[in-house]
Amino acid sequence: MSQKLRVDGQTAFLLHSYPYSETSLIADVFSRDYGRLPLLARGARRPKSALRGLLIGFQPLELGWFGAGEVKTLAKAEWLGGIPLLAGRCLLLGYYLNELLISLLAREDAHPILFDSYVSALQALAHGAEDAPELRKFEVRLLRELGYGLRLETDAQTGSDIDATRRYLYQVERGPVPQVGAGDTAIDASVTGKTLLDMRADDYSDPVTRRESRRIMRQLISHHLGGRPLQSRRVYMELQGM
Amino acid sequence: MAASSSLDELIEALRCLPGVGPKSAQRMAYHLLQRDRRGAERLAQSLSGALERLRHCARCNNFSEDEVCSRCLSSRRDVTQLCVVEMPIDLNSMEQTHAFQGLYYVLMGRLSPLDGIGPRELAFERLLNRATDGLVKEVILATNFTNEGEATAHYLSELLSARGLKVSRMARGLPVGGELEFSDAITVAQAFIERRDYS
Ligand SMILES: [Zn+2]
Repeated sequence: MSQKLRVDGQTAFLLHSYPYSETSLIADVFSRDYGRLPLLARGARRPKSALRGLLIGFQPLELGWFGAGEVKTLAKAEWLGGIPLLAGRCLLLGYYLNELLISLLAREDAHPILFDSYVSALQALAHGAEDAPELRKFEVRLLRELGYGLRLETDAQTGSDIDATRRYLYQVERGPVPQVGAGDTAIDASVTGKTLLDMRADDYSDPVTRRESRRIMRQLISHHLGGRPLQSRRVYMELQGM
Repeated sequence: MAASSSLDELIEALRCLPGVGPKSAQRMAYHLLQRDRRGAERLAQSLSGALERLRHCARCNNFSEDEVCSRCLSSRRDVTQLCVVEMPIDLNSMEQTHAFQGLYYVLMGRLSPLDGIGPRELAFERLLNRATDGLVKEVILATNFTNEGEATAHYLSELLSARGLKVSRMARGLPVGGELEFSDAITVAQAFIERRDYS
């Protein structure tokens, strides 16, 4: 029995799109209940297509699709609104979020919690929060949701609770282990227990937490990407350096 | 063997055209060889001629047969205004308006981080050099109103303003003769957000 799946009224975001033919494109979308999936948008590249101005990134859309294969066909799209268009530097940060999802999210795995976190991050960026804690919250949610075992509660060596006043070394595949002696606090993996607990509590009010969490998240993400560089980060750095 | 391999070669070559898959490449190849050999010859000649003679104008970066194109050399254009567009086709659209008498710079693309297109790929430095020739006073950013076009305009405006140039951005809103009832919601929303004082 072939399953002719038909889905309607899904809140989703366009992550990226690729030309498929002279008139059609493949939209890589992230939907709340079906996760990330590719949709064939027929005629979306035609000059008068209603889809043309609608399939825009960082905007909540209501999508409907059908099909049984790996690539479904987009049947309906409506703009939901509610998030202002991203502008300036925040656009580049938005691309970073999208590239993380494209690189790390398997197809058709539903992640509603991560989806909601993506929406919050976009809301923050749309309102001009440039280095929003929202980005860190999103990264933490991403690694946890994808089962990368981000460990923020207990020490990986002894299993005891994280002590806010101690320093730890965050080992990528293991988690935090106590940093012995005076240790070098400048190395990337070195964090205070407080930072770990703050990350767990989504509290980024402390500048030390912001700095240290950014450092370890960068390392962890790069590890899970298998060392593949992120294009959006490269472009961002090049632009900031001009 | 030799005959079939040059056929394969042709089919493969046609596939570099946007939106042309193996099927349509094959159709095109048979059409050219079977039904329109003269057309094929003309295509071959004009293609190699264009490749040989066309280059990027040293000033506007548009395609040109000369080092500097005739528009850039024209004495009738206002050298104090420089309009930045994404593609040559956008330049043509601007020209059709007869609203702009200045000069152009064609980026030949837009920032597209997810496709790996950054300031290096677009040669931002070239535009910055062009805009700081001492004659240009205002740069008008006419990149598209897509996320990529907006990102491009944002960074260019920062880089150009930092070099003491006046920078403006094309306005966006409802089309002329547009009625709210029949306009798409995203355009109306943005036109509302970007409303201007009525004085
Ligand atoms: Zn020129």
